[in-house]
Amino acid sequence: MDLDANRSLITAALGRIPGGDRAALQTVYRLTSAKLFGVCLRILGERGEAEDVLQEVYVTVWRKAADFDATRSSPMTWLIAIARNRAIDRLRATRQSRNMDPIDHAAAVADPAPAADGTVEAAQEHARLHGCLEGLASHERAALRGAFFDGNTYEDLAARMKVPLGTMKSWIRRAMIKLKACLEQ
Amino acid sequence: MTDTFDHSSLPEDDLLAAEYALGVLSGMDRATAQQRVARDRAFALMVAEWEHRLAPWAAEIDEVAPPAQLWQQIAAALPAQTQGVGLWNSLTFWRGFAVATGALAAACLAALIYLGALTQQQPLVATIEGGGHRHFVATLDAGRGTVAVVPAAFSADATRIPELWLIPPDGKPRPVGLLRADQTVTLALPPDLVALARKDAVLAVSLEPPGGSTTGQPTGPVIATGKLTSL
Repeated sequence: MDLDANRSLITAALGRIPGGDRAALQTVYRLTSAKLFGVCLRILGERGEAEDVLQEVYVTVWRKAADFDATRSSPMTWLIAIARNRAIDRLRATRQSRNMDPIDHAAAVADPAPAADGTVEAAQEHARLHGCLEGLASHERAALRGAFFDGNTYEDLAARMKVPLGTMKSWIRRAMIKLKACLEQ
Repeated sequence: MTDTFDHSSLPEDDLLAAEYALGVLSGMDRATAQQRVARDRAFALMVAEWEHRLAPWAAEIDEVAPPAQLWQQIAAALPAQTQGVGLWNSLTFWRGFAVATGALAAACLAALIYLGALTQQQPLVATIEGGGHRHFVATLDAGRGTVAVVPAAFSADATRIPELWLIPPDGKPRPVGLLRADQTVTLALPPDLVALARKDAVLAVSLEPPGGSTTGQPTGPVIATGKLTSL
């Protein structure tokens, strides 16, 4: 799916939702649901729950479309954030994170290359983030990955990486400070 | 373990926004951050900036087609929409309404009858009042299993948030969900609550800590109640 070409379509459709246009929501759904379902499934790890949450995501989009500001955010960024937040809320309400496998941070792998199915703009943005993530210490990168992709909490990450909670908080905060500085260069 | 790392290179709020956007917070910390996103525009913008920084990572997540029938389920779960929806959900309309009339309950009911007539189903309505104020107006659609709650003259409390309860004739409050002082909230009712949401059941609002009551019963003061009536 070419999200670059569809970005203006999604933005325009989001703009019609506050007027009660169901067809506009269906357009957004058609263009974005495979990505957002992937995001929910990755965090929740279970199709039934991911389907429930995906429903909540689009009902949230229906209610909050008026909040989307195309001058400040890209539609996919806004939609991915809603999907991650709803999936994480579900995870917190039901159980522990799905992936609690120990992370051997001494042997932590490098951040993988982006999937080849992305668009030019998405690939450029990913490459930039990827470059900055490569600049972090491997334990910092591993902790951020656990949070972003597995929906891990501070407590989960401390357990997976076998460090005290305070140490994990310092790792994450330090990593986020470095990441922001790098991305703003 | 010593860690002399200096966090001062970013403001505490920006770090909290980063933690929330990344998703590492849990329990009360996450609920508190969510409340701030809803109320504090500067904080919400910081969170949005972090979401923007992190979103490209999602390029690594494969697309997965959801099941074909999911769109129908979403369409069925959308709150009832009519041409009156713009006015119906307009906080300005309801606040203006509250100022414009001293006979708010009667006027609201007239408006509900008028707007309700535009929808196919006959909802139950309740004006939820206490201490001489009409705090919320609720419309309950048993067919769809939703209750839409419009804030009328409710003013926010910095530390506590309003929670809606359904009290059927047995007198035992059942939690419905959290409300907002600044916008209409539409809550889904579980099937067992729909069965109890009959005429003469009562809707009540209590003030609870962020995230809501964790006991299943109101823990803070019940500030307003209203009986469900049919139109």
